[in-house]
Amino acid sequence: MLLQILANALALGASYALLALGFVLILNATSAVNFTHGDMVMASGYVAIALFSVLPVPGALLLPLVMAVMAVLGVVFSWLAYFPLKNRPPVSVFISTIALGIVFQNSANAIYGAEPRKGPPLLSEGFFEVAGITIGKQALGIVIVAIVLIAAQHILLNRTGIGRSLRATAQDRQMAEAIGIRVNRMIALTFALGAALAGAAGLMLSNTFFVTPTDGTNYIIKAYIAVTIGGWGSLTGAVCGALIIALFEVLFPSLPLLIPSLEFIAPWLFTQTASTILLYLGLLAIMFFRPQGLFGETVQRRV
Amino acid sequence: MNVLNTRRNDYLGMLVAAVLATYPLAASAQTAELNLPILVPITGFLSLEGTSQRNGALLAIKNASPSVKITSEVTDTGASPEGATTALERALSRGKVSAVVASMLGTQMLAMLPVALENKVPLATVSGTADITEKNNPYVFRFFPGDAVAKGAHVRYVLEELKKKRVALVYQTTAYGQSGRRHIVELLKKAGVEPVMEEALDVSIKDMSPVIGKVQVANPDVIMLHLHGGPSALFIKQAAAAKVNLPIVAGSGLSQPSTVALVEPAELKNVCAEANASPVAGGTPEMDKFLAQYRAEYKTEPDGFAVGQYDATSMIIDAAAKGAKTPEDIRKALSSGSYKGIAMTYKSDGKGNMANSAVVICYDGASRTPKIVKRYD
Repeated sequence: MLLQILANALALGASYALLALGFVLILNATSAVNFTHGDMVMASGYVAIALFSVLPVPGALLLPLVMAVMAVLGVVFSWLAYFPLKNRPPVSVFISTIALGIVFQNSANAIYGAEPRKGPPLLSEGFFEVAGITIGKQALGIVIVAIVLIAAQHILLNRTGIGRSLRATAQDRQMAEAIGIRVNRMIALTFALGAALAGAAGLMLSNTFFVTPTDGTNYIIKAYIAVTIGGWGSLTGAVCGALIIALFEVLFPSLPLLIPSLEFIAPWLFTQTASTILLYLGLLAIMFFRPQGLFGETVQRRV
Repeated sequence: MNVLNTRRNDYLGMLVAAVLATYPLAASAQTAELNLPILVPITGFLSLEGTSQRNGALLAIKNASPSVKITSEVTDTGASPEGATTALERALSRGKVSAVVASMLGTQMLAMLPVALENKVPLATVSGTADITEKNNPYVFRFFPGDAVAKGAHVRYVLEELKKKRVALVYQTTAYGQSGRRHIVELLKKAGVEPVMEEALDVSIKDMSPVIGKVQVANPDVIMLHLHGGPSALFIKQAAAAKVNLPIVAGSGLSQPSTVALVEPAELKNVCAEANASPVAGGTPEMDKFLAQYRAEYKTEPDGFAVGQYDATSMIIDAAAKGAKTPEDIRKALSSGSYKGIAMTYKSDGKGNMANSAVVICYDGASRTPKIVKRYD
């Protein structure tokens, strides 16, 4: 049972990690919070459904297409919500991202209606049975895809010229510009990359947990918390924060299944409601005692 | 000649008199007027149900007797109480309103009730929130079974038909979930049954494996769900994946065709749900006709909210056709009359609860079309 629970937690955490990574990439590049990021995940669920309706192949084959469509959408989004306001106070950008998020939600509602929809599975929806342990093919697929994408993103940022330019832009925009980096192009590319990662998360989540036009709100909160726990600006922190959220959502309320005596000591503590409360109390504790987050920079200016 | 003229004049006079005598009746039959704003959530988290409400109301207006001239405008109330009261006040400010098709969102209804009372306008809704008919407001009429009726059917089916006693209860943390849970637990208690396991789920919880694991450990012989539509589908899907082979009796969330479309037919084996009605299951010529017309009109499947609001709107139109001219006339007709709708016969219990019947539907594991297995009147 422990392995099954861990597999579920890992699959959920992997999806959240992709979501949080995209969020933190854009945060680093622009110093602004992109409140539409959750809605991008939602939108990519619908993009996957739309593509599947014309090209009914497994989600794994649709994944590059969904990521490409979302990357283009990310660039368009940056033209609408970021570049016209980049020299205004940060509050202008995050208000514009909220506004576009509402546009996304209502557009999805107008096109697809409010009912939950189900995206395509990565391969199929069956299960593997290994030594009496049942693991969903989709869950396993999510973990593998997330590992591949996180590794690819790590290589891109750390081993390529474009990656170095992206990091330079994120660290100091003026200095990057001074040494000849086309900063605006790098920022647009960051939006594309962040939206593509949101696209991958959206495709996978839309099959496992369905998609509705209002899902983005829930996802942006997860991303925000993951990044706060992990540390603003830290890519490693974002991944770890996402995994911590998933552990709280899945592993913590399952503890009495692994240690039955806990059920008798404090049954009320090991519910999904109580674990949500504990997660947010933990978040407050981190903000009090380690405001830079678990992996964050010591000096923080972003809000 | 004079005699002929006199007779002709007599006939003419009688004809004119007859026409004049019948004119008021004919005129009233042709000019019965109804201003019926439709104020429902088209956007926001209840937009699915709100859209069903709108569709049901519009279809009833389309099918109305030509003797009733209906003015109706659809306004989106969103998901906030302020949105609903603003929509109602705007509708009232635009002229004489006969009655209102009002939001099925409980918090919006609670906000609209004082405005309706102040302006003496009846509200017809399919909201399931128990509180709306507990405020002693004579202007609210609910055409959907409240928790007392719906959960009564839910519990009776488990105890009397399935004859199960070891109940695991999973419910939503929302007002809807907690109200339903209270009724279920009270009704079980009256039958001497204590749930072997209970857990509440927030609507944002996606992975339900912890609660499904706890259900299995508690060793129940039936699972009762009182969750919204999406979470119901998630639970069914994940329970099937965890190979939970127990009968599941869900709330009305699982009677919505759009919810059922999210799970595979095989995952629905041993799954039942309570509902006010199941249009897709058909069963009567009237329901079959409604189903065909709804599909043709909206290119989607109707749910219980659509048929409930169709019946509510039809009852208001029927009252107008029978001579109700003012909002007060319509209120009296709704509060004292009886109406045979498509889903059931509606009659107020004195508090505005019009729907006193519920059904239990079950899926066979081979298709997504349920069968009505039990009706509770």
